[in-house]
Amino acid sequence: MEIEKNKLDPRTKLTLVLCISSLSVIIQDINILIGILVISIIISNILGANIYSVIKKIKGLVKIFIAIIIIQSLFINYGETIIQINGYKILTDVGLIKGLEFIFRMAIIIVSATIITTSSSREIVQGLIQLKIKYEIAFMVSVGIRFLPILTQEIKDSIKAIQLRGIEINKLSIKKRIEIYSYIFMPVVAGSIIKAQNLSTAMETRAFRAYNKRSSFNELKLNNIDYLIIIGSFLFAILILALYLK
Amino acid sequence: MAFIKASNVSFNYKEGENVLNNLSLELNKDKFTSIIGPNGSGKTTLGKLLIGLLKPVKGKILINDRDILTMTLGEIGQLIGYLFQNPEKQLFSTSVEEEITFIMKLKGMDKKIIETEKEKILDKFSLKHLRKEFPFNLSQGEKQRLALASIFVNKPRFLILDEPTTGLDIKRKEILSSHIDILRKEKIGMAVISHDKSFITKHSDRIIEINRGEIVGDRKKQIRSKN
Ligand SMILES: Nc1ncnc2c1ncn2[C@@H]1O[C@H](COP(=O)(O)OP(=O)(O)O)[C@@H](O)[C@H]1O
Ligand SMILES: [Mg+2]
Repeated sequence: MEIEKNKLDPRTKLTLVLCISSLSVIIQDINILIGILVISIIISNILGANIYSVIKKIKGLVKIFIAIIIIQSLFINYGETIIQINGYKILTDVGLIKGLEFIFRMAIIIVSATIITTSSSREIVQGLIQLKIKYEIAFMVSVGIRFLPILTQEIKDSIKAIQLRGIEINKLSIKKRIEIYSYIFMPVVAGSIIKAQNLSTAMETRAFRAYNKRSSFNELKLNNIDYLIIIGSFLFAILILALYLK
Repeated sequence: MAFIKASNVSFNYKEGENVLNNLSLELNKDKFTSIIGPNGSGKTTLGKLLIGLLKPVKGKILINDRDILTMTLGEIGQLIGYLFQNPEKQLFSTSVEEEITFIMKLKGMDKKIIETEKEKILDKFSLKHLRKEFPFNLSQGEKQRLALASIFVNKPRFLILDEPTTGLDIKRKEILSSHIDILRKEKIGMAVISHDKSFITKHSDRIIEINRGEIVGDRKKQIRSKN
C-alpha cells in the first residue's frame, strides 16, 4: 500500500503518534513493545519519513541511553545474575530486560515522532489551530519540532569548541567528564533562550495575534482516509491495551 | 618555516558542490595575515579546516609539520587559538572569572597558579571590572575579549580570528586593535578573516583574497604600500 505522503492530514499523523507513544509508555511487556516498534517503523516508512537521517542526527543520544540502562540495571539486583564481580551482582536478567524495554520505548517515541516531520510546519500549525489549540501554542510546537535537529548540531559544535580549549575529553576521568557536560550545555541553552527571545520580538513587531480571527488560505479538510486511520489507530490502541491488561 | 600549511585542500558540505577548491596556503608565525573575500566565498570554512573543526575531502593540512588528522582537537587548541564568528559559541561558564579558570581546574592545576594566571589574564584583556558578570549578558566586544582571554589560558602560538570586528563600534574596534598589537609584540602569529578595510589596512603584513573557494590574490605589505 502506498499513501501519497502529503495527502494525510497533520491531525491524522498527530493521532497516530499520540496512540503509538501512549502505548509505548503504558505497556511494560517487552514482546509487545518490539511489535509496536516494528509497526511504527512500517507506518513511518509508508508515510515517507526519513528514519535513517533522524537516527543519524540523534546518534549522540544513544550513548546517554546506554549509560541510563547501565545505571538502571546496576540498581536492580533481583532476578537471575548474569554478570558478577567479586560477589557483587552487576547485571541481572531483570535489569537487562528493564534496560531493553527502556531502549525500545525511546525508539518507538522517536520513530513515531518522525511521522510528524513529513508535514510542513505550516500544515502542523494549521492542523493544531483547527483542533482549537491557540495559535501561539501551535506555533511554538511547530517551531520546537523544527528546532530539534538544529539543537543536536549545536551540541556537537559545542563539544568540539570546548575541546579546542585544550581539553582531551577522552582522557578525563568519568567524574570530570560529567562536569564537562554541564559546561557544554551552557552555550546551547543560552543560545536557545536568546533565539526564543529574538523570535518573540520578531513576532511582536509583526503584530502577531493582532487579529482575533486569522483567515487561512488553505483550510485543512479531513478526507475519508484520514477518518479511517484516526478511528483505526484508536481502535488498534484500545485493542492492544485490552489484550495487555486482561 | 610555515606554522600552518594547507596543500591542495578541497572541501564540500554536499557532494559535488565544492566550497574550497584545491587550495594551498602557508601561514607564518611572524606575520599578520588577513583573509578577505565576499560573503559565502569560503573564509569561515577555511578557518574551520585549519583548526581541525572540519576535515578536508581532499588534500592535507599540517600544523607545525604534523598532519592535522593525527592530532586531537585538544592538542590543536594548545597550539592555535580560534575565535568563532559568534563568540557566544565558545563561552561555557556562569561568570567571567570561571570562564578563565574552569579549564585549568579541570586539568588539575595548582590553586595558587590558577589564581595568579587568572588575575594576569583578566588584567591583560581589561576584564577585571566584569569578573562576576554572566558572560551572556556582556556586550559583543566584551564577549569577544572574554573568548580571547579564555583562549589565552593555553598560551597558543597562533590565532585565527573570524570576523572579529563585526558588531563593534569604532571605540571597541580600537580596544580590540590595541589588544591585537600587544599580542603581536608577544610574537603570536595571526590570521584574521575580515571585511573591515580600515582594520585590515592597519594591521596586515599580508592580505589573501578568496573567491569561490580559490585564492585569487596574495599581497605582501611592500606591494600594498605602493598602491
Ligand atoms: N554548515 C554548512 N552546511 C552547508 N553549507 C554550508 C555550511 N556552512 C557554510 N556553507 C556554505 O559554504 C559556502 C561558504 O561559506 P562560508 O565558509 O561560511 O563563507 P564566508 O565565511 O566566506 O562567508 C557558502 O555557500 C555557504 O552557504
Ligand atoms: Mg564567515
